[in-house]
Amino acid sequence: MNVLILIPAHNEVETLSAVIREVRNDVPALPILVVDDASTDGTGEILPGLGVRWLQLSQHLGIGGAMRAGLRFARFEGFDTVVRLDADGQHQAAEIPDLLDHLETENIDAVVGSRFHGSQGFRTRGALRGAQWALGRFLSLVTGSPVTDPTSGFWAFGAEALKLLGDHYPRGYSEPELYLFLHRNALVVREVGVTMRSRQGGRSTLTPTRSAITLVRIAINMIVVPLRRMVRRHPDV
Amino acid sequence: MFDPVQVLAVGLSAFLLLLVLELVRRHLLGEDYAFIWISGAVILLALSTQRTALDRTAEWLGVRYGPALLLMLLGVFVFVALLFFSVIISRQRLQIERLIEDQALLEARLKDVEANDADSLGDDSSA
Repeated sequence: MNVLILIPAHNEVETLSAVIREVRNDVPALPILVVDDASTDGTGEILPGLGVRWLQLSQHLGIGGAMRAGLRFARFEGFDTVVRLDADGQHQAAEIPDLLDHLETENIDAVVGSRFHGSQGFRTRGALRGAQWALGRFLSLVTGSPVTDPTSGFWAFGAEALKLLGDHYPRGYSEPELYLFLHRNALVVREVGVTMRSRQGGRSTLTPTRSAITLVRIAINMIVVPLRRMVRRHPDV
Repeated sequence: MFDPVQVLAVGLSAFLLLLVLELVRRHLLGEDYAFIWISGAVILLALSTQRTALDRTAEWLGVRYGPALLLMLLGVFVFVALLFFSVIISRQRLQIERLIEDQALLEARLKDVEANDADSLGDDSSA
């Protein structure tokens, strides 16, 4: 496997350096690409000093746009596996080898780290946890695979997933739609248990208004995505 | 018989048609999108001038007052026009996002090329 660590970042100047140090410490052999999604807090200014490859989007596109740009970069540079790690410090780099091991040894196209899959660590609570549970149950029913953490951003994508997602990674807060999209396009996703932390700094972009809009968008996608046609895959990885 | 409502409907339809043609003439409205407005204005103008046909159609549909049918058709037209433009905007949004992503990729590749050129120049100098 030729693996790239992809870190999309929007206004994560407080945590990005620490995340990269952790990746270097835990998986030193793996190259890192940071995609700065038009940050306004100085994230872009620290990139040259971090010793990583980086892309800078001229306009804020959200996680979907940052991931599409990063995945196309990976395709062009000849990588066949990409691990998405969030820049807020929630994901632990030490878990990356386990994700990659599952991807390599099982006949699957993507692996996602679930904080509710029998592991310890930070877990959401209250209404948010209730919504995640309900969404997870729905996705489990539709995809036929257990989904316990439908909003996890800790993914590893194999070659077939790269062919699709460089052009079609969903927009917005896309994790639930990602499950459906990959399933609709006949790709296999497996969940594995990981330990996550709470956000280590900065602020979430999910305001109450955005959360409400996101929920409506997710509800629409749950109906529409399974009805879409399969998309054509990019021929080269 | 002089019907103020009919005169108003004819006048507004004619005004809309002339406005659209003028916007196209001044290159402020593309011909691709003008057709929907021209079609709508022509249909509205035709129905406004043919009061008898309008009344008969309204009666057939169970609408008691002919101009009310005109208003309903106008509402449907506006809905269709908005939907049409939403589809166009959605497509253009995808295109714009793709351009922004590609721009970032090109800038990164340019940086790499410049870095390689600088390294080559450095090697040549030291040689």
